[in-house]
Amino acid sequence: MEPILNIENLTKTYGAVPNQTKALGGISFQVTPGEFLGIMGSSGSGKSTLLNCIATVIKPSGGSIVMEGKKLQSLGGKALAEYRGKTVGYLFQNFELLDNLTGRENILLPTSLHGVTEKESHLRLKQLAEYLEITDVLDKFPMQMSGGQRQRVAAARAMILHPKLILADEPTGALDSKNAKNIMEKLSGLNRDEQATILMVTHDSNAASFCKRILFIQDGVIFHELRRGDESQQDFYRRILKVMAQLGGGSCNVL
Amino acid sequence: MFSDLILRNSRRSRRENGLFFSSLVISIVAFYMILSLSKQDVMVFLAKMESDAVNKLLMMIPVFYGMTLGILFFLIYFACKYQLERRRKEFGVYLMMGMRRSKLFTMLLAEDLLSSILALIIGLTVAVLLSELISLVTAKVVGMGIIGHQFTFSLSAICFTIAGFLAIKLVAFLILSSIISRQEIGTLLAHSSGNEKKQKPAFVYGSCAVFGIMMLTAAYTMAIKRIAWYKTGLMLLTMLLGLFGTILLFYGMRAVIALLVKAGKSDRKLHVFTFRQIQENVIHQSTSMAISSLLILAALCCFGAGIGIATTSRQAGDHVLDYTFHDYSADNPQEFLPHLQTVLKKNGLESQFSQLFEMRIGHVRTAENYSKVFQMESVMESLRSLPQSEDRDVLLNNLSYVDYPYLICLSDYNRLLEAAGKPALTLAENEAAVYQDSDFTSAARTAMLGKILSGHPEVTLNGNPVKLTGEIQSVDLVTDRSITLSFALILPDEQFLHETNGNNEVYVNGILSQEATKGGSLMTAISDMNARLDGIGLPDMFIEYESYLQNIGRQLFYMVAASYITIYLAIIFLVVANTIMGVQFLMNQQKTGCRYQTLVRLGATYQTLCASARKQISWFMGLPVFVAAISSIFGVQALFTGLLSAGTQGMQGEMLVVSAAMIFLLCVIECIYMTAIKRSSDRYLLTLMQPQREE
Repeated sequence: MEPILNIENLTKTYGAVPNQTKALGGISFQVTPGEFLGIMGSSGSGKSTLLNCIATVIKPSGGSIVMEGKKLQSLGGKALAEYRGKTVGYLFQNFELLDNLTGRENILLPTSLHGVTEKESHLRLKQLAEYLEITDVLDKFPMQMSGGQRQRVAAARAMILHPKLILADEPTGALDSKNAKNIMEKLSGLNRDEQATILMVTHDSNAASFCKRILFIQDGVIFHELRRGDESQQDFYRRILKVMAQLGGGSCNVL
Repeated sequence: MFSDLILRNSRRSRRENGLFFSSLVISIVAFYMILSLSKQDVMVFLAKMESDAVNKLLMMIPVFYGMTLGILFFLIYFACKYQLERRRKEFGVYLMMGMRRSKLFTMLLAEDLLSSILALIIGLTVAVLLSELISLVTAKVVGMGIIGHQFTFSLSAICFTIAGFLAIKLVAFLILSSIISRQEIGTLLAHSSGNEKKQKPAFVYGSCAVFGIMMLTAAYTMAIKRIAWYKTGLMLLTMLLGLFGTILLFYGMRAVIALLVKAGKSDRKLHVFTFRQIQENVIHQSTSMAISSLLILAALCCFGAGIGIATTSRQAGDHVLDYTFHDYSADNPQEFLPHLQTVLKKNGLESQFSQLFEMRIGHVRTAENYSKVFQMESVMESLRSLPQSEDRDVLLNNLSYVDYPYLICLSDYNRLLEAAGKPALTLAENEAAVYQDSDFTSAARTAMLGKILSGHPEVTLNGNPVKLTGEIQSVDLVTDRSITLSFALILPDEQFLHETNGNNEVYVNGILSQEATKGGSLMTAISDMNARLDGIGLPDMFIEYESYLQNIGRQLFYMVAASYITIYLAIIFLVVANTIMGVQFLMNQQKTGCRYQTLVRLGATYQTLCASARKQISWFMGLPVFVAAISSIFGVQALFTGLLSAGTQGMQGEMLVVSAAMIFLLCVIECIYMTAIKRSSDRYLLTLMQPQREE
């Protein structure tokens, strides 16, 4: 299958010449449509830099990111804004809902930014709200919602324009375990039923166990990959934990 | 090292926040302007002529100074607050790194002082130049070459400006820095976000808005119908109604904006976001918006009143007479002119006057029944037959009191007309012309009465039938504009002498000759003449005199006192209101900066964000201005009805012109402010365009 996202030898260095820090040291991988890919790694491993590069929040130093045949580095101005709004949907760790807008208005924000009429998005909104169980909080302000509801509203916002790829940055980071489980179930449900392609950064093994494939990053390079075959989520979780333990133990203990 | 940091920080804050810095400069200019008033050319000139009144005005200056101090304190407080709020995080970092609070305080104080000194240098230079400019302009506009100009520089004004400015700056700074220093480092470091206030049901806000509008309507009805001017208590009630009405209106305005959020076409980019932002601003800032609106209203009323008073004072008749002499011993009125001439001749002053002539006025002295000396039933009858109008009723009312009018001698009045370059008046026997000073009537009323008089109605004066004829006369009889006649009859000489029985008052009018005025301005000519007249001991001969200059001085005084101070206050109000609103908006934008960052991630372009912010600014600043503009239509009208003389009340047209000019001026000033704030907001949004993930 043609990959939706193709990352080739991506590098990113911070700082000036004498004391440069290498955040990404040449990463290559592909994301195929309908995939649920997890990226794990400890703090400072470069996973956030990777996600930010894909989200065009920061510019990579070298290599290429090709999204549906288009090189991201060549995008600018309007095309870049379109990419941010329409091609990818972004799910933040701390939701980033605008607290002076109701749930509905928050979800419809991308449509108003990209000139989609409310009529078109109305059906989608209804469908998403029902699936994410947020129909009764649509007219509430974020302050009046629970953490889980907020993240589900944010998920609806990320999904409203049918993005090709959903970038989720620690979506469970600010949630308790119950709400975390709930949002992950919803995300994997979207992946399963709508063939939504999701790229998720996390260091929560529990959340990662919902993925179909996990890339482990250490010191800016991919150092291991796990694929979930037919095994149960429990078994996959155990395998993840094993890799995490080795990650914690240092690279000398690698498999 | 430490001083480097201070220098750098202070330069940075000036660059980052030009608006704040310019408001400092403006407040300094404002201080200097009010304090240097006594050194202004017009005031120097007036002090010679009307020292009492001027001194009374100058005694008021400390009051204005105090008022300005109070208003500007708020300005500086808000601006400082914004400045410090921006740098919270930086302070947190300093403290985290172990900087002692006292050191941080010293650093901020030093930075502040540096900016203040720079603001003082720029502000004072601008102020001195501006006051020179105003001096020159007033000299040109009102002086007509009467007032000479000299460069003035008031040291005491500068000292007080510096003292006042530094004092309020220090107080504001102390209050703010004590708030900052009491906060925990954690709170300083955290991204501050506006805490949500408890919301009440929408109908509460809706009814607040309606109630506010009702209170405002009541206030303006009271003001326009003059009810407010009856008693101080009623005035106070009107003011309070207006004040609370405005506050309530702004408090309830969120309901209106909530409707707008829903009503607008959602196809427009960020429509909902923009209006939610406006709504939030209105919720958080409703009181300061109301205060700003009231300040702008006060500014508009001041402008209106100032300009109105200025234009009405300038209406005074043309300059015809230079001097009027009056013998207050009143022994021998007939002998007064020859007597004066001899006195002047004796002192070699005769050649200084090109003309000296009598102006005789008096009352009927030969009547048997003084209660009905003059009756003009025919005039009243024709007035009553006219269609009902306000002018007609006023005229009817005024004329009903005329039963014992002053009489003016025709030949004297003709000399006056001749001097004024107007055609002489001819009256046959038993004819009379009507004289009305322009202060007591309006153009419309004069025209109305003139039309009736053109039918030569017959009236009775002291039992004899008299025909009223000719146009209504209004050339000033003497130089002193405080002496005016509301209604008088001009009679042929013989009849005048007969009716007054020779018992009349005599004023002698003088016009300076070319010899006296050659070289130098009229001011110096008249001042010299005044000195010489005082020198020959006129007062000892019971002769008093009034010069054109003294008279002009008095008028000028009212004009300057009223228009200068009102316009000054207007500008201060306007500047303060706008700066408060601008700073409030920018502060709020800063607080909600992360929202814009989220929008960027959702794919908003810089242009979209700027357009949204610009729209928010237009609404946020436009609302108070709009309310103020609407209110000012009533407010200025109320002020005019309450303050101005009858002569100007009919001038609807002129009032409209004045209001239009004011609103235009307001628009220009608002545009300038909005543009400045929009630029500032664009600059801030640009810094948000490179979003960083918060760990």
